[in-house]
Amino acid sequence: MTNSEPISVGSTEVDLELVGIRKSYEHAVAVDDLDLKVMKGEFLFLLGPSGCGKTTTLRMIAGLIRPDTGKIFIRGKDVSGVPAHKRGLGMVFQDYALFPHMSVFGNVAFGLRMKKVPRSHWRNKVEHALELARLEGLEERYPKQLSGGQQQRVALARALVIEPMILLLDEPLSNLDLKLRQQMRVELRQLQERLGITTIFVTHDQEESLSMGDRIAVMERGRINQLDSPRNIYEFPRSRFIADFIGESNFFRGNVTTISDSGDVEVKSEEGFMVRAKTPMGVSLGQQVSVAVRPEKMSLLAQPTSEHPNCVPCKVSAVVFMGSYTRFHLSLLGGTLCIVQQQNVRGARTFRNGDRAYITWAVEDGLVIMDHGQDSQ
Amino acid sequence: MLRNFTWRGVALGLFSLLVFLFLVAPLLIVIIVSVNDTQYISFPLKKPTLRWYRAIPKYGEFVDAFIVSFELALFSSLFATILGTMAAFALVRGRFPGRNLINTLIMSPLTLPGVVTGIAMLQFYTWMSMGPSLGRLVLGHTIITLPYVVRSVSAVLYGFPISLEEAAMNLGANRLRTTFLVTFPIIRSGLLAGAIFSFIVSFDNVVVSIFLVSPEYNTLPITIFNYVSYSAEPIIASISTVQIIMIVLLMVIMEKFVAFSRYM
Repeated sequence: MTNSEPISVGSTEVDLELVGIRKSYEHAVAVDDLDLKVMKGEFLFLLGPSGCGKTTTLRMIAGLIRPDTGKIFIRGKDVSGVPAHKRGLGMVFQDYALFPHMSVFGNVAFGLRMKKVPRSHWRNKVEHALELARLEGLEERYPKQLSGGQQQRVALARALVIEPMILLLDEPLSNLDLKLRQQMRVELRQLQERLGITTIFVTHDQEESLSMGDRIAVMERGRINQLDSPRNIYEFPRSRFIADFIGESNFFRGNVTTISDSGDVEVKSEEGFMVRAKTPMGVSLGQQVSVAVRPEKMSLLAQPTSEHPNCVPCKVSAVVFMGSYTRFHLSLLGGTLCIVQQQNVRGARTFRNGDRAYITWAVEDGLVIMDHGQDSQ
Repeated sequence: MLRNFTWRGVALGLFSLLVFLFLVAPLLIVIIVSVNDTQYISFPLKKPTLRWYRAIPKYGEFVDAFIVSFELALFSSLFATILGTMAAFALVRGRFPGRNLINTLIMSPLTLPGVVTGIAMLQFYTWMSMGPSLGRLVLGHTIITLPYVVRSVSAVLYGFPISLEEAAMNLGANRLRTTFLVTFPIIRSGLLAGAIFSFIVSFDNVVVSIFLVSPEYNTLPITIFNYVSYSAEPIIASISTVQIIMIVLLMVIMEKFVAFSRYM
């Protein structure tokens, strides 16, 4: 792969290792032969659509469900047979799972109580944890007297107070409104870096994973499809599924017609026009591939251009104003839909419904994806 | 003038009042009779007195029956609560073959006529050569009160997020501590409602009890039932009033602590 940035995790010490983990339910395989290494201090995301096995994986790490086969190592120790309450991991649940019959103090102190920490230490530790979660002074309140954001912070403080080896987060921000969610992303990331705690975050929100993670494991059908830095996942998705799931992509499917010495490849699309992109490794003449292009890498012109070899005629079918940018829905020859996104800067050319236009993009911005059997849809 | 005055509203109010009166009127009559200074059951009130309450200790059979009924209700509601809670956990959370069948069996005393249940139990005890005892009453009442516990505990369990137990375990609590520190306190209202309700059902029961009592172990409702067939003394009314007061108190207490009406 060209241009991809090296992954820097900062540590070579492995905090968590999953080896050949497999879990199936009555009819379906939830997690299929999964291997994963998480480094010390790393913020790792398990990202995927619902039913991809990400939550099952997290719950197996927590010890809440037992894998059918495979082993789980925490700091080199095999914990496969260790029950949840002896694993020493902290977990934040999607619904926060705060104990409704206990005050905030009672909730946060619960883990200390179970770990037989002397009662005289509770006050200090609870206060410290609440301070980390930025929620001081609400110790005597009960969960139902708190807002969603506050409950979320209590859940976080409760997980942190026991000084867990690994912090597990199961879609912890999905019940918050957008503003709060964005704020919590920043706070959570800062806290994680400050404590240096190994963290595994499960989400279906690609934006969340791109903005916070050191690495993202994109999961599909119980397997890790790609494990890489957020930038690499976005810039160099390895499959059509990922190119589509992470961010948004326009796809031109077709057959490779030429592979030039300069490292370019030409693909004749199903619609009948030529698309030029950089040659990936292992591509051969006549092979069926898809060229994926991000909507924000494309521009819309009124006249054809010779600046880029990629120039496709189209018709504007919808214009959606989004504030800082505009999305153009375009129909190509043969009815294929294409989306182009343009920043609303001064002087930007506007188009209207029904206008004829030309889509253009740089050769470097087209990514050739091999159409493997399982990825093509 | 009332701003929302309508004849429709007045009619509805009157109708509701009538329904309510119809429901409590028999109880009110019993209470009034119990404080009426006469030698036989009579209505309306002539002269109030508490002599029929003072007379209660003199009627030993009622005192004995009250003690039997109280013990019976206490033990059967205790057993029903323990067994019913365990059954509710299995039925709500378990996935095993025959789950629906077991559920139907446990609930059957609610659907079968009491007479049928009573005769069946009597027949069974005869086959098993179980003579008259408090034990066979307790066993019978445990069976008929079990559905009330299973229902009220199931209701709270269905709404109980499993993640609460998982969170407790994640924080270092084993199964037992999780159950006692997290699960039970949260489903407490359903548990208490089931326990109290089974106590009341047992204390009140006539139809099934009538097949299981014996001269030594006679329950209060049966004793009252027998007594009215040959006597019209107001002592019946005062004894009944004591029973009504006890049950009303229980319900008030429960309503206050666990919003009882949710489970009925």
